[in-house]
This record gives sequence, structure tokens and C-alpha cells, in this order.
Amino acid sequence: MRKRTWSLVILLVSLSFLLIFAGEAPKYGGKVIYTMGTDAKTLLPPHINDSPSGEVARHIFEGLVEYDEKLNIKPLLAEKWEMSNDGLTYTFYLRKGVKFHDGTDFNAQAVKKTFDFIINGKLRRTNIYKKRIKEVEIVDDYTVRFHLKAPFSDFLNYMASTNADILSPKAIEKYGDDYGEFGKYPVGTGPFVFVEWKPGEKIVLKANENYWGGRPYLDEIEFRVTPEDVTRALQIQSGDAHVTTRVPPVMYNALKKDPRVVIERVPETRVIFLGINTIKKPLDDIRVRRALNYAIDKEKICKVVLQGMAFPLKSPISELLPGHYPVGAYPYDPKKAKELLKEAGFDENHKLKLELATPKGRYLMDYQTALAIQGMLKEVGVEIDVRPMEWGEYINYLFAGRENAKYDIYLLGWSDTLASNVIDRLFSSTNVPPLGENIGFYFNPKVDELIEKISRAIDPKKKDEYLAEVQKIIMADAPWIFLHNVQELILYRKGLKGLIWHSSEFLDLRKAWWDK
Amino acid sequence: MLRFIIRRLLLLIPILIGVSIVSFLMVHLIPGDPARILAGQNATPEDVLAIRERFGLDKPLTIQYFMFMKALISGNVKSLRTEKNVMEEILPRFLNTLQLSLVSIIISATMGIFFGIIAGVKRNTWVDNLVMGFSLFGVSMPVFWLGILLMLIFAVKLGWLPAGGKGTWKHIILPAITLGMATSAIIARMTRANILQVFHQDYIRTAYAFGISERKIIYKYVLKNALIPIVTVVGLQFGYLLGGAVLTESVFGWPGVGRLIADSIFTRDYTLIQVGVMFIAVIFVLINLLVDFTYAILDPRIRYGQG
Repeated sequence: MRKRTWSLVILLVSLSFLLIFAGEAPKYGGKVIYTMGTDAKTLLPPHINDSPSGEVARHIFEGLVEYDEKLNIKPLLAEKWEMSNDGLTYTFYLRKGVKFHDGTDFNAQAVKKTFDFIINGKLRRTNIYKKRIKEVEIVDDYTVRFHLKAPFSDFLNYMASTNADILSPKAIEKYGDDYGEFGKYPVGTGPFVFVEWKPGEKIVLKANENYWGGRPYLDEIEFRVTPEDVTRALQIQSGDAHVTTRVPPVMYNALKKDPRVVIERVPETRVIFLGINTIKKPLDDIRVRRALNYAIDKEKICKVVLQGMAFPLKSPISELLPGHYPVGAYPYDPKKAKELLKEAGFDENHKLKLELATPKGRYLMDYQTALAIQGMLKEVGVEIDVRPMEWGEYINYLFAGRENAKYDIYLLGWSDTLASNVIDRLFSSTNVPPLGENIGFYFNPKVDELIEKISRAIDPKKKDEYLAEVQKIIMADAPWIFLHNVQELILYRKGLKGLIWHSSEFLDLRKAWWDK
Repeated sequence: MLRFIIRRLLLLIPILIGVSIVSFLMVHLIPGDPARILAGQNATPEDVLAIRERFGLDKPLTIQYFMFMKALISGNVKSLRTEKNVMEEILPRFLNTLQLSLVSIIISATMGIFFGIIAGVKRNTWVDNLVMGFSLFGVSMPVFWLGILLMLIFAVKLGWLPAGGKGTWKHIILPAITLGMATSAIIARMTRANILQVFHQDYIRTAYAFGISERKIIYKYVLKNALIPIVTVVGLQFGYLLGGAVLTESVFGWPGVGRLIADSIFTRDYTLIQVGVMFIAVIFVLINLLVDFTYAILDPRIRYGQG
């Protein structure tokens, strides 16, 4: 009798649990239209260097490992991996029973074929892999070993990039070096299968019924191209599309009130800064560079100009990236700025005059930020001439090379998935224009040495220490005026669930579903 | 007639060579390094060099021009950005623009001529003033403003029509109206002016003197003569529309050729800009040719081929 009562209680409790959570269980079916500002360029992963292409490709292709939404590495086509003690080889143990969309088996041969194709090709990302990988060795059908040229602490991150996604061996044979054609017909192992691409209009994918991880909830995804920000938001309101990003902040309050949609502020890794030409007089004087940093009220810019869509930087690296170390920003202190300028020989009678070059409309409120800074610097006696430029012309202006560099300060943004990459690309003395991106010609041998150490550090703890040290040095040297980390607004229809936003500017619909 | 057509078509060759040189120089004169832009952020110096080499951007300008012409003749010019054949990119987008322009020109010509006639016939009355007032509004309304306003009303509030995009016939209505608004205003003003001009001709006065009914005078004598210059305007406007309605296409996300070329300018996709501009030039010339033939049909006095 007693036993029976207990059974009844257990039954009732489990039933009620079922009832409570029944509403939360993902449902199958339906289509999602994701309306985006720009069309993809190519769907050939190692040829991708823009985020719209990457976003689409990640639904079709898979790599050995991937990033989670916090940019940590997790297994994908490799179930596990190990690094040798000297950091020179990585062995990946592959998932079994995975097939490409064209029916080909995924195995060690496919991995080797993909990397041979990348390294021996002329793809837009060939160099970054060629520089690191010596050879890919097939140990057995489901084990593959990468031999590196030198220890490289970010190797797994490179493998998690879309660029390292595994391609169908059949497709490699079919298209070979015709990257234009190859980029039109993507074949991967991912949860969605490519259906059609109408350039400038849409890309359509359908559910992969045989996906190794189980069929995705959605039947179909359409990536639609709509360049105008306002129109995209209207499409979500009217129900013509279901999710979008880059919503104009001025629409935030109106959209918040619309019961048909959900608007969310989400983080991204993009930092905005004013680079300083550190070899041009008087900007080669560290006192001047620090004074400029003290003279700007970063909090106010974030609050007023960017309407809360950004937060001040605490280091050259976004705080969303693993490896960020909060060094602390220069506080807003116009008095100190004036003192430093005076020390450097500038005052009311002898004013510092600078040009501030900026793109217009490339980053959120870029030109407006430049104008606000012009006003703030005027307060400390610095005269700024704001020079807005079209993006192509701007790039030309900044990459003129050392002899032709005419700029004083310039507004730029940088988004990355890797802390070490930010430091290497923007602060290494070897990466100066016309080809490199250290546009301010910042040279510090100590920083160069640390970049090398970070790259070779096998021990993650040591790597973090080096990263912290390098961030402290850069902050103190003030090769930038450190501004802010921008955020993003995403807007979607009520009832759309399971969206995952990755701070690397990737909207993940692989696990999305409709609750309706 | 045939001689005329052949002569006009042969004239296309020097026009195209001219356009190719001008567009080539234009894209190379605007500052901006395509390799740098194509390489994107995070590219290594080697990547930038590799792109330059791959597309021959490191070669002298004259060599680049001949490389381009050679590829053009063999029909194998590739977009720098997507590496697909440029015609494969341009053609579908052009057809979309053609579709939009056709609907738009039908709407705007019908509306423009209709209201132009009313204003012309009822000249200097309140009807005339109203129509002309509206047409001034039509010409001066910014496409961005009008497009977004229409979407707010018909898509977001009423839910009758979609907000941008391309798919069913419903998708074309709002962009066609937006695009046609200014054109219809121009056509209305033009029609009115022509009708007024014809009304002052001696033969119309004579017709009135003969006691022919006003209705007959308007339809048989005034309109037929007033329409000829309007055909030119409609033809030219159509040509402009085909050249790409960049703003309308952007606001509504309509995948047309105007937007494609504008985007290519921002990304410095040299080859696509060049071929795109040449393509549009050909279309423009062809439409002008078509307009000339329409004259001959409308006005038996106009004949071609004698000279």
C-alpha cells in the first residue's frame, strides 16, 4: 500500500514537471529569414575574410573544433585532441559516422586533403596556415596529426576559425583552383545544406536530415540582403523577416514598445580607438599622447554620442576576449592634460593643432564621435581639424607607407577573436604600412619580444602573464587614444527561440526554433 | 532603315572603346587600393601582396588595360571581389532592375500623361494648380524618405504589402511607386507644357474655327502632336532608371544593378565597375535607338535612312 502511494506521488510529480517544461521543449519545423546588411562574398571557407560570408558558412561547414559564444574552444568534428610536450604536434581524434552533404565520408583523408588544398593554394587565408603548419599526417582513418613549424600557442584558435572548416574531398577535386565557382556551391558536414544563392538577394539553406548531431529544429534558413538599416528593422516589425542585427540605436525605444518583436543589446568584440602617428612630431612625445588620453571623457561619449551602445576600454583588447587584462583607462582629467601639454611646450599662445581623420558611417557614430572629441580637445587648448573620408579613400590614406604618412590621428575599429592577434597586428614593429596594420608606427622592442613569447608559450598560464604585461606597456605608452568597445542591437520576432549571439559578430541559428 | 540601324549599331564600337577607357581611368584615379580592401582586416602583408599579384594590380596601367580588354573580348572578366564571371553577376541583377524599371515606367507614364493632360486641358484652373503642386512635391521628395514612409504605412501599420525584399508581385509595388514618383512628376509637367504649346498652333485654332468638337480636337490633333516629345522623355527616363536606381534599390533591398555597381565602387571591384558601366552604356544607346524608331511610328513625317 505504502509503496503504491509513493509510486503515485512520483508519477504525479513527474507528470507536473512534464507539463511545466512541455512549453519549453524545442519544436521542429518552420523557416527563419535572417535579413542582413551585406551579401556574402564567397562560401569557400579558406577564402572568407568578411563576417557575412562567415555567418552563412558556419551553418553549412564545420571544423575540427569551434568557438562557443564566449570564444572558448570546444570539440566539433574532432572529439578530442592532444598537444605534444614540445608544442610541435597536435593529434586530433575524429568523430565517426559523419558524412558530407554530397554523401562523401568525413575522415582523416578529408582533413588532410582540405589542409593540403589550403596550404598549396592561393586562397585569401592560405598564408596564415602556411606560416604555421609544416605537414598534416594521417595516423589512421580517424586520427590526424598536425606538425607545426614552431610551437604556436594559438593553434587551436586558428583551427576554430571558419577558415579551417573541413571541405568535401569530392568538391576539392571538382573545383580545384577555380575559387569563384567553388565559393558558389558549398558542401560541408554541418546541420544545414545549401540550396540556392541569388546574389544580392538571398541565400537559402535547408535542414540536413542526416546531421550527425540530430536534425536541426528549423526546416529552412534564408539569409536575405537588405542594405538599409531602417528597412531591416521595418521588415522584422512587419513580419517579412524574423531576425536582424545592426539596428539603428535611435529606433531602440520605439522597437522596445512593439509587442511583436524583441530587441536586445548584445556584446561584440569590436574596439574603437584613435590611432596616433607616433613618429610624427610632436606626437612622438609621450606626454602629448598621454595628455590627449586624459583630455577625453570616454564615459560621456559612450553615454551621449553612442546612446549607451558602448563602454569605455580598459585595455587595447576587448574585455570579451580571453586574455584581456583590465589595465585601467586614463581617467578624464583635463587639468592633468593641460599640465602635460604645457610640459611639452604647448599653451594658449602656442597651440597644438592636429588633424583627425575618420571614416563616416563605417562604425557606429564614427563621425559624430570625432566631432565630440574635437570639442573636448578644444577645452584643453588643442585645435582639431576633423577630416571625414570615404572608406576606400581612407584606407589609401592610412596605408600610404612610412614616407608618405601625413596623418596625425585617425579613428579606427578592430574586431577579433584572439587577444594575441590584436597585439601582433596593431603593435608589432614588423607590421607597419603599406602592408601591415600598425598604422601609428608604434615601436617598442619589449612589446616585440613579448609578442614572440606569447606566440610560443605552451603553458596557458605563462601566456596570460605575457599578455597582461604587454597590455600594461601599451597602455602606458599611449600609442592610441583609447575609446570604447561597441555593442550591437539584435531584433527578432517574438516566438523565435534558441538564437545564440557570438560576440565575434556571428548570429548562430543552428539551434533556433519557433515557439508558435 | 536597315542602313540606319547598322550605322547606329556600328557607332556602338567607338562609344564602347571610349567608355572602357573613361571607366578604366576613372576607377584607377579614385584613391583606394583594391587589394588592401579585398584582403580585409586581419590580412597579413603576404595576403595583400598575393591579391595584388593574382589580379595583376601590381602591373603598369597600360598593361592592366590591355589585360582587361583581352579578358573582355574572351568574355572572361572576373569580379575581384567574388571571383565569379562579372556577367554572371551583372545579368541577373540587370534583369531585376529591368523588371522594376518597367513597372515603374508604366506607372509613372500612365500617371504622368494622365495628369499632364488634365492639367493642360484645364489650364490655369484650380485642377491645374493642384496637379502641378503635387508634381512639384513628387519631384522634390527624397527617395529615402518616401520609401521608408510607404513601408511604415503599408507594411508595418496595415500589413498589406511587404517591407522590401524580392519575391512575389507584391514586392515590386512600393519600390516601383517610390522610383516612379519623380519620373511621373517630370512627365506630367512635360505633357502639360507640350499640350499648351500645341494649343497655340494655328491648325488648332483653325480646327476650332471649323467647329470641330473640343473632345475630338484634344484627342485627334493636340495629343498626337504633343506626345512625340513625351516619348523622348519617357525613353530617356527609362534609360536612367535602367542605369540603376541606387537609392530605391538600397532602401527596399531590391537586388538591382545600380546597387551592385555602387557597392563595387565602395569595394573598388575594378573589373565589375568597368564592365557594369560599359553594359549600362550599351543599354542606354539601344534604348535611344528604340526611341528614335518610335518617332517614326508616331509621326509619319519622320523618316530614317535617306542621309
